[in-house]
Amino acid sequence: MANVVPVDEFATGEWYPGFKPEHFESPYIVDAASPFKPGDEQGFWFLDFHWSRGLTPLAATLWSSDGYCWGTQHAAEALPLPPGRGITARFAGTHLYGCALPETDPREIGARANRIGTNLPHFLANYRSIWEAGRDELEATWQYFRGVDFTGTPDLTELLTQGRRYHKRSMEIHFGVMYPMLANFLGFYGACADMGINPAEIGKFLQGEDTKIMETDRELYRLALKARQVGLEPVFEENEPLALREALGRHGGAASVWLTEFDDFLQVYGWRAEATCDVGVPSWIEDNTIPLGLVKTFLKRDDAHDFEAAARNALAERDEAIDNARSGLTREEQAVFDAGLASNQAANFPWWQDDHNYYIDLKVMLPLRWGCQELARRENADNKDDMLYLFWPELQDVASGRRPYAGELKSLVAERRQYFDHWFAKRGEMPKVLGTIPEAVEDPVLIEIFGLNPSAIKAVQNPDAAKQTVMSGVAAAKGTARGIARVLQSSDELHRLEPGSILVCESTSPNWTPAFGKIAGAVCDGGGMLSHAAIVGREYGVPTVTAVGVATLSISDGDEIEVDGTTGTVTILTKATTTADTAAETPAGVAG
Amino acid sequence: MDPAPTTTPTTGHSCDAVVWIDEVDPQRAIAAGGSKMGRLAELLASGVEVPQGFAVTVDAYARHCRESGLDERIDAVIGRLGSSPSEAEVEAASAEIRAMFTATPVGEHLTARLTEAYEELCLRAVDVNVPVAVRSSATGEDAADASFAGIFDTYLGVSGIERVLDAVRNCWGSLFTARALAYRLRKGISHHAMPIAVGVIELIHARASGVAFSVHPVTGKADRIVVETSWGWGEAIVQGLVDPDHVEIGKADGRVLKYDVAHKRVVSAFDFAVGAVTEIDMPAKLADRKVLDDEQVGAIASAVRAIEEHYGHPVDVEWVISRHRRAGDPVCIVQTRPVTVTASPEEAAPAAYDPVALAQKYLFSGKPIPGR
Repeated sequence: MANVVPVDEFATGEWYPGFKPEHFESPYIVDAASPFKPGDEQGFWFLDFHWSRGLTPLAATLWSSDGYCWGTQHAAEALPLPPGRGITARFAGTHLYGCALPETDPREIGARANRIGTNLPHFLANYRSIWEAGRDELEATWQYFRGVDFTGTPDLTELLTQGRRYHKRSMEIHFGVMYPMLANFLGFYGACADMGINPAEIGKFLQGEDTKIMETDRELYRLALKARQVGLEPVFEENEPLALREALGRHGGAASVWLTEFDDFLQVYGWRAEATCDVGVPSWIEDNTIPLGLVKTFLKRDDAHDFEAAARNALAERDEAIDNARSGLTREEQAVFDAGLASNQAANFPWWQDDHNYYIDLKVMLPLRWGCQELARRENADNKDDMLYLFWPELQDVASGRRPYAGELKSLVAERRQYFDHWFAKRGEMPKVLGTIPEAVEDPVLIEIFGLNPSAIKAVQNPDAAKQTVMSGVAAAKGTARGIARVLQSSDELHRLEPGSILVCESTSPNWTPAFGKIAGAVCDGGGMLSHAAIVGREYGVPTVTAVGVATLSISDGDEIEVDGTTGTVTILTKATTTADTAAETPAGVAG
Repeated sequence: MDPAPTTTPTTGHSCDAVVWIDEVDPQRAIAAGGSKMGRLAELLASGVEVPQGFAVTVDAYARHCRESGLDERIDAVIGRLGSSPSEAEVEAASAEIRAMFTATPVGEHLTARLTEAYEELCLRAVDVNVPVAVRSSATGEDAADASFAGIFDTYLGVSGIERVLDAVRNCWGSLFTARALAYRLRKGISHHAMPIAVGVIELIHARASGVAFSVHPVTGKADRIVVETSWGWGEAIVQGLVDPDHVEIGKADGRVLKYDVAHKRVVSAFDFAVGAVTEIDMPAKLADRKVLDDEQVGAIASAVRAIEEHYGHPVDVEWVISRHRRAGDPVCIVQTRPVTVTASPEEAAPAAYDPVALAQKYLFSGKPIPGR
């Protein structure tokens, strides 16, 4: 008997003030996004860790429509996934829940199995050109937007429409590549496990290849060392991240030279938002606080992080893991393993899973954000991100002059901000799963990216989760660490991490990467062997356990905990004596 | 049947009561000596190292039952059981029949033949009262049935002709254990259709012993040989009394794929006071020690491969490494049986890397991916 968690509490028909169902009108393939509706408990809904702040009206409709209900559903048809039709989305307040759409007609599943039988080998044979063509197409569009003078464009309607098309197209490419790569990787994974290879080893076979994200971290770290070299450490020590830019400017001299170099760095690496596919969040260029804060943190470490040594270690560990695995296989199995490894090295999912963020997830929403900010300027809005609190049709109406912003829309925006803040504060209490809970799921994205394995699905249903002191998850990066837990709701709070902290969060994305240079261990509710935290944990040698399900519920900020990334166990050693300091902070990304 | 005693005891050909493993025609070995002994003769003929020994034939058993009047008395007990007796009735009948075997002495003629053969074995082994393994060796198609595995008696370390004779009679009687009786009743088989032979085999002084399978006994994967082993004799392993070391070897190249050393709590050792192999606590210094080195694993694997090739189907074997074995010597095979497990298409190892088939199998099957 399946466990059913009712959705009634969230299926009230109430949503953002002024919301109308047609605000979600947007092309989709199988199922459209919406707030929760009665009857939704038939699906299996999981709280999506990517957006732990919640989503503004525009961000909510853009991602759920273009990412899930177009991108994943389109890709699930194109490959296709035999028993699955992609992912759909619902909202409980501002919080996004995803649900895989099953295909149940046996004849249809058979027909789809025939199609993937043709399409997957074709994709794998042509992976490189397919991905690079998609990436280059997106980069070309990105360059187009970089060249656009938003301020000088009289009518922003066209630009916003182009920005939306870029966003949507990027999701087609993203999932069109991701599903077949994941199908190949998870098939290989299953075969390896069946051949008796320790699952903890499988993640290592494909690690160690350099990505654009790792390159960003290295460059930022180089800047930190440079700051130390020219004697700027005291400036970073004395100032909070928010005040650093100004303080460095005031300092002059070496600091000015350093800032010039920093700005050059940002021109290459700073076009990345502080969250995955969230138009509501600024890029590093727009808000320097995060990269400067990271430099500040890097400087607190006395022992330099040796990226080259870490990379060498990752490669050596990879080669050793491959040799060990092969030695336990029969000659017949070695033939299968070698061919599978070659296929997965050619189309390296773990590598892609990190690298593609640079081209897609962290920046494809920026042109829309710029358009919104320019429109806010023209409309004399109170805050430059006020337009993000409009729905897409409202935004188009304002841009084209069909509807004034001042008056009704402006006051709606104020109400919607309150609505956002209200739900932001409730994030910690949101159920991890809703609806009809299965024992296992078949969508590769759910399995791999969300870490929805049978044990995690079980863990999130534990009614006593808040009281447990020992948790288990995926042993994602080996080693053991003890330290004080810092339970972060979002990357806005990265500055709360001290060297030696244990990071506890729903999950990480690339913008969390620099934190791995200073933390002692990491624990995530979601994420599989190839989730961001797992990959980066291995690259940085940080003991990491993912797919714990309820770590953010069970562990309180300030608890002393132990992370065993070899066995996948997390233990609370001492509970924090006070619960102060754990209140949610103002979300930086949406502060005017 | 020729009742005349032989004047040339070493040949064993002129009398049907005893056949020697190394002298019997392999073609008629199973018919005369039962499946267990017959296969040893076949193995020896195909070049595999087996212990010396002889079988007390099916004919000798039949003649004993006939001439001592056991046949009538057994039939009477079984006749009383009817077609669907209760479990308790079957057990009572079993006890009654087995008591008859214990109480019925071996006839003079057969005693003389067995004494002669046992003395010949002592001579061959250069030993007085050589310790032997006395093993039931059943006949008939059902004897190979897994239901009969371990159902009949085996006595290890029997020394002296009186004890050998007792062990032979107990083995005969084990044709009538409650399990065997119930099985035959259920299948409608007469015990006359599956008379029993008994093997008398030189007891190899085992440094280590164990079982080996020419395919994985659980998954049926045919690309590997699986060996389970412990110190001393193999009884503790066969009876599941000890958690043995587990070794897997690639069949194609003989590479050791994995060697899991177990904590071995029990050992089958020779008890000189009792004159038999019995189970005792494993000495602490041996419990966690790896039993086999690579050379020994290789010798076992090559014997298993040869036996599988000889029969043309997967086999399991019981083997012993003698204390006197030196590197390069073959290991001694004491028993072999066909293995009926075959890999289901689900579990068969993939022949090539097929991403579509693997995605279907692991990702789109509705079952959790292994290892997650």
